[in-house]
Order: sequence, then structure tokens, then C-alpha cells
Amino acid sequence: MANTITSAYPIALRALRRAGGGVVRRGPLVLAGDVILVVVVILIFAPFAYTVVTSLRPAVDVINDPLGWPTSLTVDNIANAYSKINYTQGLISSTVVLVGTLVLTIVLGSLAAYPLARISRSWTTWVYRIFIAGSTVPIFVLIAPLYLLLRDLGLLNSYVGVILTYTAINLPVAIFFYTSFFRQIPIELEEAAAIDGSGPLRTFFVVLFPLLRPVTATLATFLTLSVWNDLLLPLVFFQDPALKTVMVNAYSLVGSYTLDPSLLFPAALLGVAPLLVVFAFLQRYIVSGLTMGAVKS
Amino acid sequence: MIHRRPLLAAAFIAPAVAMYLALIVYPLVQGLVLSVTDSKVGNAGTFVGAANYAKLASDGDVMRALGITVAYAAVVVVVQNAVGLALARALYQRPRVRQLGSTLILVPTLMSAVMAAFVWNSLLAPNGAINSLLTSLGLGSLTHVWLGDPSTALWAIALVNIWMFAGYSAAIFLAGYMNMSSELLDAASVDGATGWRRFVSIEWPLLAPATTVGVTLALIGSLKVFELPFVMTAGGPAGSTKTLTMIIFAKIFGGEGSFAYGATIAVLLLVVVVVLAGVTQSLLRRREERI
Repeated sequence: MANTITSAYPIALRALRRAGGGVVRRGPLVLAGDVILVVVVILIFAPFAYTVVTSLRPAVDVINDPLGWPTSLTVDNIANAYSKINYTQGLISSTVVLVGTLVLTIVLGSLAAYPLARISRSWTTWVYRIFIAGSTVPIFVLIAPLYLLLRDLGLLNSYVGVILTYTAINLPVAIFFYTSFFRQIPIELEEAAAIDGSGPLRTFFVVLFPLLRPVTATLATFLTLSVWNDLLLPLVFFQDPALKTVMVNAYSLVGSYTLDPSLLFPAALLGVAPLLVVFAFLQRYIVSGLTMGAVKS
Repeated sequence: MIHRRPLLAAAFIAPAVAMYLALIVYPLVQGLVLSVTDSKVGNAGTFVGAANYAKLASDGDVMRALGITVAYAAVVVVVQNAVGLALARALYQRPRVRQLGSTLILVPTLMSAVMAAFVWNSLLAPNGAINSLLTSLGLGSLTHVWLGDPSTALWAIALVNIWMFAGYSAAIFLAGYMNMSSELLDAASVDGATGWRRFVSIEWPLLAPATTVGVTLALIGSLKVFELPFVMTAGGPAGSTKTLTMIIFAKIFGGEGSFAYGATIAVLLLVVVVVLAGVTQSLLRRREERI
């Protein structure tokens, strides 16, 4: 009897939700909540929408009436911003830095996480703890010594220096994530592979690495956001104009054009466009990628 | 298998450890070493003991920046999480618009701080969209030179920070809501717990883990804020937006080349982050256990 009631509850409630009842009862307060929610979501999204619209309006129109409805559209501003911030060159540089960081962090992070997850000795615990502790160190504490180190190694003004630095900074996150994921993979899988004569290296790359795909996608989303959007490292480490990333090139607009919306808005749009395109395909990983920093602590 | 092959295990870990030692641990130690020298533009310098730290304590600019940084972080942490929580609750209660709503409010999080600064510099400009909007709403008396007035500039930057990450906080709290046992919530609604009472006595305690995460992340992020003031105001007007990171950057790379003193302020930042984040986190964790 009790069983029937408890099992009927969820079903009834699910039906209620389908009927539009939701988790709250409808009433004037809820309606007010609806209105506030819509207004706040619009307010948060509006600056982005405004950026897109303003980028497409002729500069004269924007100056005369910044809030006006677009009467004519143009791609002139975008073309102008494109050449002012050397977009093609920036795109190449940002992509090289990003891809290099992704590959290195994913490979080194997963390799290190595997024994750290499978061997429970005091030394593995310590190695793990020291890695995790590194994630709280602000980059500003490291930036001067890193600059001197890369200078002495001849790695200033090189992709290698920036890629290695980003990899080191992000290893704690990668190791945390892969370690917790490896612990969920049943060890029988490796035992079966071993019985079939597969050595540990082969087992890692052929059997285990493919299983890591969802974590890898989440990690890649997180890395893409933080590396693509970063200004500090490429600003400090790249002096050669041919190496400057999209963000550094965009930053060069500050000062001379700081208040010109017909240049800054399309520049902002160009900066975020590649991320929007990539994440349109990886949408389901965005939330996990963003909140993975959350799981970390 | 890996646990029976210690040498192989070490070989798996070695590349990551080597890179971490070279590019995180060594620079961290070097930073501490720099802070007890008088190094300029990267010269080795000579040992000066605690002189830089003594200078730090009596440096009005640094102490002011410390105050600015902490005040900024306090406002961002509270407002951003409050907005995020309200959004998460509203979206949780409305399953039909949950997906769309949380996607829309996450868009600002995808933008870089540089891009966000571009957009908001223009929106907040004296003849920009915000002031135009106020005028067209008949609130012309509220128009303001937001970024040009020392009493509003820092809070205008805080607003941009909150705008960027309110959706992120909402995602964290929404994950907290989705983790709640639906039996418990259903039982509560059958018992007639609704509205504010339901929130205070049921949801808020159950959101304790999400609160810990949301508050800690926002705290660490806002104490380290750099790009927003760097691009939006360059520390002005009248130094009112000069955070600790801004001073560190200026000392090291701003022509002075005071590597040693910059490293000393960076150590101060490290201590502030570790202490504030550590205390906050352990207080919130203890609260989780109580609940």
C-alpha cells in the first residue's frame, strides 16, 4: 500500500509538470517572477545583441542615434575592424597557441593522471596534492620570474614558450579531472586487456584514452575559453607583431579608438566569433566545461 | 598493469611533473627570491632582506590598491552570486525555458574580458547607450560619466564583471538545484511549503555545496581581476580602479622595471588570495557539514 503511494507520487507530479503546473503553483507572484526573469535575461543578453546590431549599422547612424533601430545595414565596420586588428594573422597565432596547449595539456595530463589514480601510495598522494595546490597560485606571482626564465631560455617571442606556460598552468585542472575520471573506470578492463597480451602503453592509448572522450571534451572547452580569451601572457611574451594573438591585436585599439563603437563593437564580435562557431557544435559541453572549475574546489 | 610497473608509472608522470616544476614551482620560488632583492629589469640584484616588505607596508598606493581590490571582490562576490541564485531558482521552476534561458545568460561568459571591456566602454561612454537610454526614459538627471568619475568607475567595472559571470553563477546554482532529491522537494510542496519559506528552510540549506563553489570561485576570480580595469580605465580616474594586479603589472612591465618590488606586491596578492579564499572555503565547508 505504502509502496503504491510512494510510486504514484512521482508519476502524479510528473503529470502535473507536463500540464504546466511546474514546480510552483501559478499565481500573481509567479507571473511577476516570469516578467522579472524575462527582463533580467533580456538585460543580460542585450549588450551582446546590441554589439551585433551596432556592428552592422553605418557609423554615421550610430553616432547620431546610438539606440536607434537599424535602417540600413553594412559590413564596412566589420571589414574595417578586420584589417585594423590584423585579424587573419591574429587568428592564425591564437589558433596555433590554442591547439598546441590543448594537445600538450590533454596528453600530459591524462598520462600523469593514470598512475596517480591507480596507485595509492603516499608519494602519489603527495604528487597529486602538489599539483592541485598549484591551481590557486595567481599568474601575477609567476609572471616576472616566468618572463626572466623564458628570456634566458630564448623562448620569449616564440609559440613554444607561451604554449608550455599555458600547459603548466592548466595541468592541475587536467590532472584533477582525469584522475577522478580514471577512478570511475573499472580496473577489470585493464586486467582483461593485460590477459589479452596488451602492454600498459597500448592499454592506455587503445583501451583507456578513447573512454576519456567526454572529460576531454569538457576539458577542451574549458581550455579553449581560458586560452583564447587571455590577454596577459601573449601581451607580455610576444613582442613580434607576427605572433600577436587576436586579443593582443584587439587590445592595441585601446587608447586611440577607445570610444568608437563602430570599430570596437565589430572588433569584439570578431574576437568572440570563432568561439561561438566552435561551441555551436559542442554546445552540450559548454556548461560542463564552465562548471568544471567548480568541481575542482 | 600500471600499478605493478613502478618505473613505467614514473615515466607516465615524469613529463607533467618536469613541466610543472620548471614553469610553476621554480618561478614561484624565484618570485619569493626576487622579493628579497633589489632586482631591476631582470638583473640579479643584491639581497636586501625584508626591505621590500617594509616599503610595502608604508606604501600608500599599494595599501589603497589592497582596499580597492578587497572592496571590489566583496561587491562582486555578493551581487554576482545573489543574481545567479535568483536566476537559477527562476529557471529551475520553469522547465520549459530552462535550456534557452541558461544558454542566453551564458553568452557573456564566453566573451573575453577585453571584448566585454570594449562593449561596455562604449555603452558607458558619456554619449553612449546607457546615458541615451536614461535620457529617453525621462531619467536624464541620472546620466553620468560612469568611467570618468572616481566615485563610480570601480563599481561600473564591477557591474561588467557581474554581467559577465552572473550566468556562470546561475549555472552553478542550477546544477545544485538539479542535484536536489526531487522526493524531498515534492514532499515539501505537498506539505505546503512554498515561496520564501520553502526557499529559506529547504532550498538554501540544500544549496550549501553550490554556494561554497560559487562564492569561492567568484572570490578568487575577482581578487585577481586585471583585464577589465586594464582595458576599461587603465587604473584611472585618479587611481580609483588601480587594483593590486594593476600595480604589479605597472611595476614590472610599465617602464619602471621594478621586478623585485613587483614580485613583493605579487606575494601580497598570493597571501590575500590564499588567506581569504582559504578562510571563506573552510567556513562554508563547515557550514555544509552542519547542514
